[in-house]
Amino acid sequence: MASISFKNVVKTYENGVTVIPDLNLDIEDKEFVVLVGPSGCGKSTTLRMIAGLESVTDGELYIGDRLINAVPPKDRDIAMVFQNYALYPHMSVYKNMAFALTLLKEDKNVIDEKVHEAAKILGLEEYLDRKPKALSGGQRQRVALGRAMVRNPSVFLLDEPLSNLDAKLRTEMRSQISKLHQRLGTTFVYVTHDQVEAMTMGDRICVMDKGVIQQFDTPQELYDNPCNLFVAGFIGSPQMNFVDAVVEKADNGYALKFGETSLKIAKDELADYVGKTVVVGIRPEDLSFDKDFLQDGNTIKANVDLDEMMGSETLLYLAYGDDKLIAKVPSPCPAHTGDDIEMIVNLERLHVFDKETEQAIVNC
Amino acid sequence: MEVKTSKVRTVLAYILLLILTFLCLFFFYILIVNSTRSHAQIMKGFSAVPGKAFVVNLKHVIHDANIPVLSGIKNSLIVSAGAAALATYFSAMTAYGLYAYSFKFRKAAFIFIMLILVMPTQVSALGFMRLMDNMGLLNTLWPLILPSVAAPAVFYFMYSYMQSSLPMELVEAARIDGCSEFRTFNRIVLPIMKPAIAVQAIFAFVQAWNNYFIPALIISDNKKKTLPILIAALRSADFLKFDMGKVYMLITIAIVPIIIVYILLSRYIVAGVALGGVKE
Repeated sequence: MASISFKNVVKTYENGVTVIPDLNLDIEDKEFVVLVGPSGCGKSTTLRMIAGLESVTDGELYIGDRLINAVPPKDRDIAMVFQNYALYPHMSVYKNMAFALTLLKEDKNVIDEKVHEAAKILGLEEYLDRKPKALSGGQRQRVALGRAMVRNPSVFLLDEPLSNLDAKLRTEMRSQISKLHQRLGTTFVYVTHDQVEAMTMGDRICVMDKGVIQQFDTPQELYDNPCNLFVAGFIGSPQMNFVDAVVEKADNGYALKFGETSLKIAKDELADYVGKTVVVGIRPEDLSFDKDFLQDGNTIKANVDLDEMMGSETLLYLAYGDDKLIAKVPSPCPAHTGDDIEMIVNLERLHVFDKETEQAIVNC
Repeated sequence: MEVKTSKVRTVLAYILLLILTFLCLFFFYILIVNSTRSHAQIMKGFSAVPGKAFVVNLKHVIHDANIPVLSGIKNSLIVSAGAAALATYFSAMTAYGLYAYSFKFRKAAFIFIMLILVMPTQVSALGFMRLMDNMGLLNTLWPLILPSVAAPAVFYFMYSYMQSSLPMELVEAARIDGCSEFRTFNRIVLPIMKPAIAVQAIFAFVQAWNNYFIPALIISDNKKKTLPILIAALRSADFLKFDMGKVYMLITIAIVPIIIVYILLSRYIVAGVALGGVKE
C-alpha cells in the first residue's frame, strides 16, 4: 500500500517564506499523479517533502498508513529521479544502478540480476560499463530511471525528469515512463511545468499555484471543466481565449454580449450575473468556420494578425478590438494574414468565469 | 601578411617563454651541478659543468653523525604526508559541512575560518609552543602534523570547488539511496573532489616539507629533526668544517621528493589551475 496523503501540511522556509500554506492531497495507491504549475508554485517543494528532502513545518504526511514527517529519506521506501539526473559521476552505469542495493548489503547475484533486468527494460545493457559522462542526455535519464527501478520502491518521485532533453527525446521518454508505470504498478508522483507532459501522462493532475491546489482531477475533466481562470488558462495549448462580456437576459436564457457578438446560452447559473461583467473562455479549437455551429449572434468579426501553419492544423492570431484571440482550425485554412474574417463560436463548449472571484460559473 | 605577423608573434612568445623557463630552472641546475662539485671547486666560482665529487659529497652528508639525513628524510616524509592527508581530508569535510548543511551559525563559522586565514603563524607560535609543552608533545612530530586539520586556505579552495562541481542533487540522491551522511561524504563527495584534493595535497605537502619555523621551535632532538632544520644546522656549522658541496648535496636531497611528488601529480596540478571556472 503506497498511497500518499497530505493533511493540512504547511511548509515555511527558514527565511520565513511560506511556500505551502495548507496542503490537503490524497494520492491513491498505484496512481500516476502529475503536479503541475508555473515555477515557484510549490510543486517541487511538495515532491521534496514526500522524498524527505524538505522538512514538513506543520501538518501530517503519510505514505500508506505510516506517518513519515520525521522518517529519513532512506527509510521511506521511495526512489527519486532528478532533473539533472544526479548520477554519481565516478561510478559506472552498473555501479550507479547497484549503489542503493549494495548499501542494503544485498546478495551480489541478486544485485546483478536486478540491475541487468532493469537495464534490459531500459535498453541500457550495452552501456553498463560506461561512466555517465560518456552517455547522451536520454541515456543518462534512463540510467536515473534504472537506478530508481532496481530498488523496487513503493513510490516513484520524478522531478521534471524530461526538462533537460530535446523535444524529440522528450516525446519518446514520455511514453517510456508511462509504460514503466504500467509495468511496475507503483505510485508515481511526477512534477513538471509542461502541461503537455501532465495531460499525456497523468491519471490525475494536480494543478498548483502559489502553494495552493487549484484543481485535482483527471486530464479530461481539467480540460472540459476547469474550476477557475487559472486552471482554464494553464491547461490547454494554445491557451484558452478570455473575453470580458456583459450578461443580459434573453428569450430562452441569457446572452453574453461583447462588441457585436451575443452568445446565447440557457444556463440558470447566470441568473445572478445579469447586468454584470463576466469572463468568457473559449478554447482555440472552439472558434471555427464550421457553419454547423452557426446560430444567432455567435460570430466574432476579427482581423487575422498572423497565420501559423502547424501541419494538420493552422493557428490564427486574431485582433479583436483590444483583445487578442487565437483560433485553431484544420489545415488548409481559408484565411491568411491581413484578412478580415468571421469566426463561429461553438456554444456547446463555452466557459464562463466570475470576474472577481475568478471561479467558474458555467462550463457548458 | 597576417600569417607573417602571427609567425613573428609566435617566435617572440617562444623566446620570452624560453627566457622565463631558463630563469626558473637555472637555479635548480646550478644547485644540482654544485652538488657534484667539491667545496674547493665551488669556492673557486661558478661553473655550468658538473664536477666529480657527487659520491664524495653524498658520503659526507650521509656519514655526518651530527646530521642524521636518513632520519631527516623519514621525518620530513611522515610530517608532510600526514599534514597533506589531514589538511585535505578535514578541509574537504569542513567545506562540505558548510556547503551542504544549513544551520544557524553557518555564515559566522565561514567568516571565522576566513579570519584565521589572515592570521600569521608567528602571532600564535608562542602560545602554540606553550600548549604543546603543557600537553607533553614538545620534541615529537605530532605538533607538526595535527594542526593541519585546520587549514583555512585549503578549506576555502574546497568550498569554491564544491560550489562549482558538487550539485546538491547528488547528495540528495545518495540520501535517498540509503547512504548515511558520513558515507555520502566518503563515497560520493570525496571521489568528486579528487582533482581539488590532489592539488591541495601537493601544496600542503610542499608547505609542510619546506616548513622551518614551527619545527625549529618544537624539535630539539637530532633524531627527530626534519630536513629544513638539518640544512640550517649544516649551514651554521663550524667554519672550519664548513663544506659547500655537502650543503648543496643536502639541499638536492631535500628537493628530490618534492620533484617526484610533483611529477606524479602534475596532471592534477595543471587541471587544478583551471579548476573553479569549469562547470559541466
